[in-house]
Amino acid sequence: MSPGEFFLQQFINGLAIGSIYALIALGYTMVYGIIQLINFAHGEIFMAGAYLGLAAILLIGSIGPIGAAAGAAPALSLVLTILTAAAGCALLGLAVERVAYRPLRQAPKLSVLITAIGVSFFLQNAVMLSFGAQDRYVPPLLPVLHARIGSVTVTLMQGIVLAVSLMLMMGLQGIVYGTALGRAMRATAQDPLAARLMGIPVNRIIAVTFAMGSALAGVGGVLFGLTYSTINFHDGYLTGLKAFTAAVLGGIGNIPGAMLGGLLLGFLEGFAAAYLSTQWKNVVAFTVLVLVLILRPRGLLGERVAERA
Amino acid sequence: MRRTASTRLLVASVAIALTMGAGCGKGQPVIKIGFAGPLTGDQAAQGTDMLHGAELAVDQAAAAGPIVPGLRVELAALDDARNPAMAVSVAKRLAADPNVVAVVGHLNSSCTKPASAIYHEAGVLHVNPVSSNPEISRQGFDNFFRICPTDDLQGPAAARFAMERLGARRIFVIDDLTTYGRGLANEFIKAARGRGAEILGHEGITQGEKDFTPLLIKVKMINPELIYFAGMFPEAALLLKQRFALQIPAHFLGGDGLFEPTLIDLAGAEAAEGAYVTTLGGDIRQAPAAGDFVRAFEAKYGHLGAYSSYSYEATRIVLEAIRRAGRKDRPAVLAAMQQMKSYSGILGTHTFDSKGDTTLRTIGIYTIKGGRFEFLEASG
Amino acid sequence: MRTAILVVLISLPFIDRNPYHVEVLTTAGLYALLALGLNLIVGFAGLLHLGYAAFFAIGAYTYALLNLRAGCPFWLGLPVSMATAGVAGVLLGLPAVRVRGDYLAIVTLGFGEIVRIVVTNLEPWTGGPNGLLGIAHPSIGSFRFGVDSRPYYWLILLLVEGTAWACARLRRSRIGLAWVALREDELAARCLGVDTTRLKLIALGLGGGIAGVAGCFFAAKQGTVTPDSFDFILSVMILAMVILGGLGSVRGAILGAAVLTIVPELLQGFSSYRMLLFGALMVVLMQARPQGLLGLAQIRRELRGRRAAA
Repeated sequence: MSPGEFFLQQFINGLAIGSIYALIALGYTMVYGIIQLINFAHGEIFMAGAYLGLAAILLIGSIGPIGAAAGAAPALSLVLTILTAAAGCALLGLAVERVAYRPLRQAPKLSVLITAIGVSFFLQNAVMLSFGAQDRYVPPLLPVLHARIGSVTVTLMQGIVLAVSLMLMMGLQGIVYGTALGRAMRATAQDPLAARLMGIPVNRIIAVTFAMGSALAGVGGVLFGLTYSTINFHDGYLTGLKAFTAAVLGGIGNIPGAMLGGLLLGFLEGFAAAYLSTQWKNVVAFTVLVLVLILRPRGLLGERVAERA
Repeated sequence: MRRTASTRLLVASVAIALTMGAGCGKGQPVIKIGFAGPLTGDQAAQGTDMLHGAELAVDQAAAAGPIVPGLRVELAALDDARNPAMAVSVAKRLAADPNVVAVVGHLNSSCTKPASAIYHEAGVLHVNPVSSNPEISRQGFDNFFRICPTDDLQGPAAARFAMERLGARRIFVIDDLTTYGRGLANEFIKAARGRGAEILGHEGITQGEKDFTPLLIKVKMINPELIYFAGMFPEAALLLKQRFALQIPAHFLGGDGLFEPTLIDLAGAEAAEGAYVTTLGGDIRQAPAAGDFVRAFEAKYGHLGAYSSYSYEATRIVLEAIRRAGRKDRPAVLAAMQQMKSYSGILGTHTFDSKGDTTLRTIGIYTIKGGRFEFLEASG
Repeated sequence: MRTAILVVLISLPFIDRNPYHVEVLTTAGLYALLALGLNLIVGFAGLLHLGYAAFFAIGAYTYALLNLRAGCPFWLGLPVSMATAGVAGVLLGLPAVRVRGDYLAIVTLGFGEIVRIVVTNLEPWTGGPNGLLGIAHPSIGSFRFGVDSRPYYWLILLLVEGTAWACARLRRSRIGLAWVALREDELAARCLGVDTTRLKLIALGLGGGIAGVAGCFFAAKQGTVTPDSFDFILSVMILAMVILGGLGSVRGAILGAAVLTIVPELLQGFSSYRMLLFGALMVVLMQARPQGLLGLAQIRRELRGRRAAA
């Protein structure tokens, strides 16, 4: 393996893992953008998405005719799995928002942060108790295909992950900036009171934002499970923390920023592990994060928003 | 209205918690065996496996008739969340309960070490199933017994196998940055260097991470003859899988944390093929004395974890000590244990040295072939 | 009232002879000390900090290393740990005070993780993942602290009481009032000639110092330190204690620490269900008392929703 191939292989890998961070980061960014809440439970929703995906895969496989059809068309079962997980996570996000966050809409912001941590404990342990604490194997939906250029390998999954993330990011950008719903979301983000006076159903818009962000996390969960083929009830913590870092790096509240931050983090980790050492890679990632925030206090693509005390 | 509703809920939950805490110990007088391990958090899987082993031992003993006349034997299971400070608090709780005459416990060496001082002070028998850090028994506590071989036995056995049998001289070492993983990796490196191996690199991965490809791409470039991994099977499964995808030809050898059939399920038989694993003792499924245990365990819990047999054995040893003591009395139980010359269990026949470590020091070596662990040889 | 509570707390180990209860209260005391320190940063000065465990770690490792390498006694280790962690608070604060609000939270989270990983990786000094073993317990004259919880309990009670007293004094001092100004409206405070950077650094330094004291106590009590005692979850839990108790309230921080230490212990009977119930309880508690158990009215007002943009 030549140094050039080495670099290329690391680049491809960083792109793939970065895309998953980006998908989860989008959810953090959307929720933060609209109610300025660091939704600590978002990582757990991602993890729940991975488990819902696993359940869907097992279910699809077990229902005779659907299983046969899915077996014949792997792409169909992938789509079905992703849709199931996205829908399930959207519902979960709605439930969390309704039960845990909405009652605190008028409460101090930090109280909501602590509530989010409580929700995170709850979801994590609920999954542990219902699916078991053991790592679970996620069977592959698609044939394991590699393309090899010299000694550089690209897998089909890596391509799918990148394509899906880009598509969803652009779709989301389209919704936020091109539809009435998006306008309502942006209005709510700017000033919930004024938005309500203009006849925007603020609570419903916030709920929809949670549902969308959670659905994206669900998609991320499925792709994550299929990429690494093992999932654990604890996966939401570390990956969630990284996705959150990515969202901040790119400028929290900013949709392309989340994508940029995710990819950047993927590269940072990969190259730090490659050229330095695995055990220092998180130090490198966090140091870059700190430096970025000191030089550009609102993240790479962050806009200057009204200052809070 | 909302506020009163949630306040009521709060009051109700606290009340439930309090009654749960106070509710134990009613009815027939009990004698308790303490159990401590991670039951929540990222090592809940291994901790629960351990708990199941202990539960089975106690249930079987209880079903066979009273161990001490007039007393019901009960397991008092507490969660240390693999946190050393929590472990101390758990240890104090067990030590403070006069019904607890012995403790089976703690998974992590970093928890067992500080907790052992508490058990020692309380004069309560402490049998440890799986914390393999050698430092623990060097504290000289006369109430401490351990039924697994320590890392300073396993590391050298692995190094000898890697170099003599596999002929590997150029080695890359990976651990999981835990007390266990780093401790074992260091023992391996020491022994391998002593035999003239060249350690091309030693890096730590973070437990719970999934993408080790950047590290493995580097390993591919360095091109060692063997990769040694000291850690647990979930990370090992990913390493094997990603190593396979990258077509790294180096041998893969790991410690006892990998000896778990789930490893092969998670990695896939193809990726796991040809990996080597050192184990504490032999294969429990093939041990002549363990057939009943394996059947009973799988009937009750389904999945037989790597550590279940150790906590089962440790709990049975404790039960034997209680039976010999014949009463609810910590010094008597401890004395009975100290006088126990040997104990024949499912892992083999244990005798204990002056530090309380078992003399059953067999390190087994297995390879994965056709999706199964296959016994190769045993040492020690 | 205050004296009565103190008398009860001091005499408690004589009344309740269960060492486990004393141990839980000692742990609660340790967390109360940490919560008091973090309250200074988050509650008084309004700086959201998510890496507080780092200072706790620095304090613990400072004493551990001084004791193991140079035989430094606990009572000398205490001020040195305090100073080291305090200086670390200021040094890490220098770049961090440039960023505001939630971004500060992320920078501090980053520092917290960096410190923990560096401690794990600097194996020759810190023992790496194995940590440091055989750290000396405190001793007074010929009396040596051992594994008995009671001496630690009285010591932590003294430390908490002293810190709480100092915090209450500090809040009424010129600095305390300036912190209020800083927290309420940083821009206005700066316009009035308040040196906001200096104020923030004072809060971070003092808060860090208190965590250093707690770290030293922890290392001396445990006799071992390992990096896994100082993870992100710990920072989050201390923050939860401060907020649950009531942001800015000295008594609240202590109460919050007591509640979040004792409740998980009460839930031990549920074994695997423990953290599920704990999470649900946290949600319920915050909904029942959004301003915290002993929240201050002014802070409730201040944090309510977003204020009209300046």
